[in-house]
Amino acid sequence: MSEPDLDKNKRLGEKCIDEMTLLLYVERQLDRETAQGVSLHTQTCTRCLNLLRVLDRESRLLTRSMLESDEPLPARIAEFQARVKPGMQWIWGVVFGLAVLGVYALYTGYIEPWQRQFEQAGFGGSDLLSLVVFQGAFWKGWQSMFTLFEVLAVMIMAGFGLFAFRRYFRRGSAMAVVLASLSLLLMMTAAPASAAEFRKGDNVTIGKDQVIKGDLFITGEHVRIEGEVDGDVYAFAQQLDVSGHINGDLIAFAQSERVSGVIDGNLRSMANNLTISGTVDRSGSIWVQTLELDSNGKIGRSLTAGGQSLTVDGKIARDFLSFSEITTISGLVGGSFKGHGKSLSIASGAEIDGKTVFEGQQPPSVSSETKLASQPEFTKVQHHAEERGSGYYVWRVIWTGAFLVFGLVLAGLMPKFAAETVESAGQIGASFGLGVLVFFGVFIASLIACITIVGLLVGISSLMLWFVMLFAAEVVVGGIVGHWIMGHTEEFWPFFLRVLVGVVAVRIVTSLPFIGFWAGLAVAVWGMGAISLALYRRLQPSLAPNIPSVPMPPMNSPLPPHTTVGGV
Amino acid sequence: MEPLRPGRMSAPGKTEPTELIARARTGDTQAWGDLYREFAPAIFRFCRRAMPTREDAEDATMEIFMKLRDKLVQYDPSRSFTAWLYKIAANHCWDMLRRKKARHDKDTDDIDEVALECPEPNQLEKLIEERTGEEVRRALDKLGLRARMALVMRYYSDMSYDEIAEGLGVRRQFVGVVLLRARHELRQALGESSALAVGGTR
Repeated sequence: MSEPDLDKNKRLGEKCIDEMTLLLYVERQLDRETAQGVSLHTQTCTRCLNLLRVLDRESRLLTRSMLESDEPLPARIAEFQARVKPGMQWIWGVVFGLAVLGVYALYTGYIEPWQRQFEQAGFGGSDLLSLVVFQGAFWKGWQSMFTLFEVLAVMIMAGFGLFAFRRYFRRGSAMAVVLASLSLLLMMTAAPASAAEFRKGDNVTIGKDQVIKGDLFITGEHVRIEGEVDGDVYAFAQQLDVSGHINGDLIAFAQSERVSGVIDGNLRSMANNLTISGTVDRSGSIWVQTLELDSNGKIGRSLTAGGQSLTVDGKIARDFLSFSEITTISGLVGGSFKGHGKSLSIASGAEIDGKTVFEGQQPPSVSSETKLASQPEFTKVQHHAEERGSGYYVWRVIWTGAFLVFGLVLAGLMPKFAAETVESAGQIGASFGLGVLVFFGVFIASLIACITIVGLLVGISSLMLWFVMLFAAEVVVGGIVGHWIMGHTEEFWPFFLRVLVGVVAVRIVTSLPFIGFWAGLAVAVWGMGAISLALYRRLQPSLAPNIPSVPMPPMNSPLPPHTTVGGV
Repeated sequence: MEPLRPGRMSAPGKTEPTELIARARTGDTQAWGDLYREFAPAIFRFCRRAMPTREDAEDATMEIFMKLRDKLVQYDPSRSFTAWLYKIAANHCWDMLRRKKARHDKDTDDIDEVALECPEPNQLEKLIEERTGEEVRRALDKLGLRARMALVMRYYSDMSYDEIAEGLGVRRQFVGVVLLRARHELRQALGESSALAVGGTR
């Protein structure tokens, strides 16, 4: 032990000690030597001794006041929701597992066969959609994949639904009522399904003399509807033949589909080949590889169709909207025609009573023996490589502005969430991991949800949310990039300035030739993952709403932990 | 089980529910629930003292236990669980406060800039004697966020100067200054309620 500094003690003894030193003495933060000096001084200085005691009493008062139990533990946090977090982890685990399974099935069922067939088929990139959905190789695993995806879709939708409902029910807000109403609506829309008839088998036939009351869900390799269905028909088949009468809509997914009967409602179909030689009283929404509306075929209202090859030899009472590589019209279009694709052929005998507008690579071929209300309007579509003129970059700038406005609106409406999302984007690994799941999984699940019993409403809502997230992804990534460039801030406008700088940087990178597309994809995955991560974290503390309040347990002793002061 | 009080009074292995903690660490949900019920009131009270609103305190309490659940496996049983828990709580609350722009409040000014007047012991004693716990808590609400946080860390959870320095992101030698300034702010807030001037000169 060293000797105390007598000079210092003397100095301390000559005049009163400052409050800081006395406080540090009370708090036992002085070194031994200084503490001894204080101790010596307080033996002779009443004022300092009194102040020392008062400071100590002040410490006790502070501790006692803080420890006093003045409020019971609030009801909503009276119990920790022990199941919440593991529950959510379980759901995420299931979602992730299913998504991985889905991606694997997608790869083995589609991508590999597609790769094998790609060169043989000789299709360009513009045929991706038709290749993705309609190629025969894909069809081989269709039914098993469908079951898988259906489960995947239901599980993911249920997971997201749970998230949303937990949050709003916890808050007890009006949103809970809105969401509850929405769920009721969904249940009501799903209700007819409970009264529907289900048919399944290798060969399923609704005979000529059969009448099905209510909706019909029918699956099989060969499905024939020769009788009457008094409701909607949902058909999943390798070969579908409708020669009977459907009083409602026909929603069909088939490799080969033929409609020679009568459909009183709409025809919504995804198929490899579709031939319509019957009548569809209302509209047609059709995505196929090849469509043929033969000379006896009729669409009572408008037709919207996409695919590789569309041939219209029959009648369309109203407008015809086409997205097809090759469109051939030799029948009647009662309204206008608008098409987008590689080529349009208006053959002999064709009649178009409205405007004819075509955007494509080649001017439309128009036979002299046609009846057109007006001269076809043609806009030549440039090749992708040629698109990158000044106009392309002008549009990039305009879109950048749009992104910034979007970001400003989002950050203004939800400043805290915006900051959390940008913060989440900083966790690159987690964001990317979750981003892959959301980017692919939710998109696929939403599409599948649109065609399953889960319902269009859920699927479309999820798709809309997915698109909003996709749009916001670039802003989020711009935010984190801006923060990397300019440093961290929590103020609104400096925050927005960083978003601005970051979005511009991201747009520049995604506009670069060759790597731009992949950079854009990475940004989308990253940003969507960050948004999902922030959402996930926000929704974590789910609490029980109706647990009764419990009192705080009494303290053993109101005395503070540091109750003694050396030398006093 | 005997309820625990905050601070280092809960010596490891004596008043702390070590068995409960050990079971909770292994993932025993029942033990976790008991642990929560054991510590939640004190942590809520800590948050209530540190955070500006009751809602913030409730949210902070739950989030602290969420963190605790994640970090429980990292807990070193040879150390005081209570102290460890309060460190997590303090860090979380201060993070929340910082996100609420706590750094821009008045006590972010240079702490050396303004000289503090030494109080007259008799006047200070009178002020302290006359004040109830409730009045002190009300006065605490009027303090700057850092001042309030420092007092709570020190006098509620008995954190060391090193821990306070680490938690608040200040140098250790400034912790005493922060605490002293906080006390002065508190006295002023207490004095305002009774128009009692405490400050004096030597």
